[in-house]
Amino acid sequence: MRGFRRLSLAAALLLPPTAAAAPHTPQDPVERGLWMQVDEAERKLQTSDFVIRDKALNDYVRGVLCREVGEEQCGEARIYIMRTPYFNASMAPNGMMQVWSGLLLRMENEAQLAAVLGHEFAHYREQHSLRLFHNIREKTNAAAWLGFVPFGFVAQLGIGMSMFSFSREMERDADAKSIDYLVKGGYDPAAATRVWSRLRDEMDAAAIERKAKSRKDKNGGLLATHPPTAERVDTLKTLAAEHPAAARDLGTDRYRAALAPFWADFFDDQAKLNDFGASEYLLKQLAEGGWTAELLFARGELYRRRAQAGDFGAAAGFYRDAVAAGGTMPQIWRGLGLSLIKNGEADADRKEIHEYLRRAPDAEDRGMMVMLAGEPT
Amino acid sequence: MIRKRIVIAALIAAALPVAPALAGWKLVPAGQPVAVAKSGMTVTPGEDWNRWTARPIKTSEVWTLDGTSLNELYFVAGLAEGKTLFRDIAKKDRPLPKFSKAMLLPDVVEFFESSTRTALQTSLFEIDKVEPDKMSGHDAVRFAFTYAVEGDQLPRKGIAKAAVVNGQLYLVSFVAPSIHYFDRDAAKVNKLLDTVKI
Repeated sequence: MRGFRRLSLAAALLLPPTAAAAPHTPQDPVERGLWMQVDEAERKLQTSDFVIRDKALNDYVRGVLCREVGEEQCGEARIYIMRTPYFNASMAPNGMMQVWSGLLLRMENEAQLAAVLGHEFAHYREQHSLRLFHNIREKTNAAAWLGFVPFGFVAQLGIGMSMFSFSREMERDADAKSIDYLVKGGYDPAAATRVWSRLRDEMDAAAIERKAKSRKDKNGGLLATHPPTAERVDTLKTLAAEHPAAARDLGTDRYRAALAPFWADFFDDQAKLNDFGASEYLLKQLAEGGWTAELLFARGELYRRRAQAGDFGAAAGFYRDAVAAGGTMPQIWRGLGLSLIKNGEADADRKEIHEYLRRAPDAEDRGMMVMLAGEPT
Repeated sequence: MIRKRIVIAALIAAALPVAPALAGWKLVPAGQPVAVAKSGMTVTPGEDWNRWTARPIKTSEVWTLDGTSLNELYFVAGLAEGKTLFRDIAKKDRPLPKFSKAMLLPDVVEFFESSTRTALQTSLFEIDKVEPDKMSGHDAVRFAFTYAVEGDQLPRKGIAKAAVVNGQLYLVSFVAPSIHYFDRDAAKVNKLLDTVKI
């Protein structure tokens, strides 16, 4: 008995504090205070209208995490899929993981999703946020600490921003571990570098449209904790190359099937954010397997809303292509009718708007459309 | 908690360092026509309101009954081509859409929706109803909407009325929590919207 106790004590001392098999539990009053606040933030999240509760989608995302980190550890994560149209995921020290719909819209395949989930899970397992929390506490005096923690630090949790500001070193660590997770799960480890290089391309596309300098190397805003720098892309590429024998599963078809019921809404959320360059970039990605009626309609909406020279003609073309591709959503004719009016080529009888009203007799904007085009005959 | 109100939120970053010492609230008495946003637009409120002396954008004004988190009336009087509906506080990362005088009334509704979604960074925003109306004899649109903001547990409802006159946008919008406050004040606001003169 004594021997056993001594052994377990020795084992406890030898184990690096971050490699414990069991999930970390708060160790002192300060950590308990933090846990309480994070738990409170999670309690609020559980009743939030922003959480997507669809079982199939939740099971799918959890399945991806479990495949790469193992069944035992993935049980520590409580995943919340949020209807938030930006690129982000996070995991708090208590196991609360958030995955934003804007992230799901941007991934090309299951391996890329696994790369991001693995990265966040690595932050969690290594207790990065907790280490940072203690680090800040040591470096600031009590007054600064009190002012900072309850209101600035943890208050962020509630608004779904990235949990904590990780140091670059912790980022590199999580990146490296995400590659290990990908390999363990049988995913293509090159997926990680592709996530970030594509984000850089998207930021370039947004900047070109805005006639502004690309934000891709800016360390700020939403991506403050995860700057998609060129160095990062290169490092991930090098790390992936260290696993030449790794499986190369991408899971593109599985990913598309899982997201099929959602992408139109997720894309609509993106398209209404006044970011034509990024939206067009993402739409072309979605259309890699061919332009469906839904994608053509989405593109028509994007061009019609941008409303620059030539856009209404282009939009009308996309709406017509959507009809030709078998599209039946009433909004196709609404968009077509409005585009033709704006382009000065609508028929006097505005038959496209009337077709919209025939197809959607209870449309929420019926009254407005009747004012624009008269009662359908 | 944070960014739950469109207008106040749009004001925080840009105006707060200057505004607090100067900004205040002035009574708007019931029953008299009052010019809003230093423009030719007037409204005649049926009850006393409080007017914020700070202006989110140059051509705007904010009124409230009990505080802007419970009821907020936002006037935009004569928004010109190329201007944004709210203050463009994050224009490098999340620039707001710009008004165009070529907008048809249905486009104005989409402009309002896109501006609000971008300013509040939300995906939970629905247009519930869009109907034709008149504003001072001009063709106008009246619409209803519902939205929520992440981190704020209170869903909100809104109504708005807008017209494009001489290439400029005139818009009055009202938002309040869908629990209790919206229903309590909607009739007052609908009446007020009918008194808008340009």
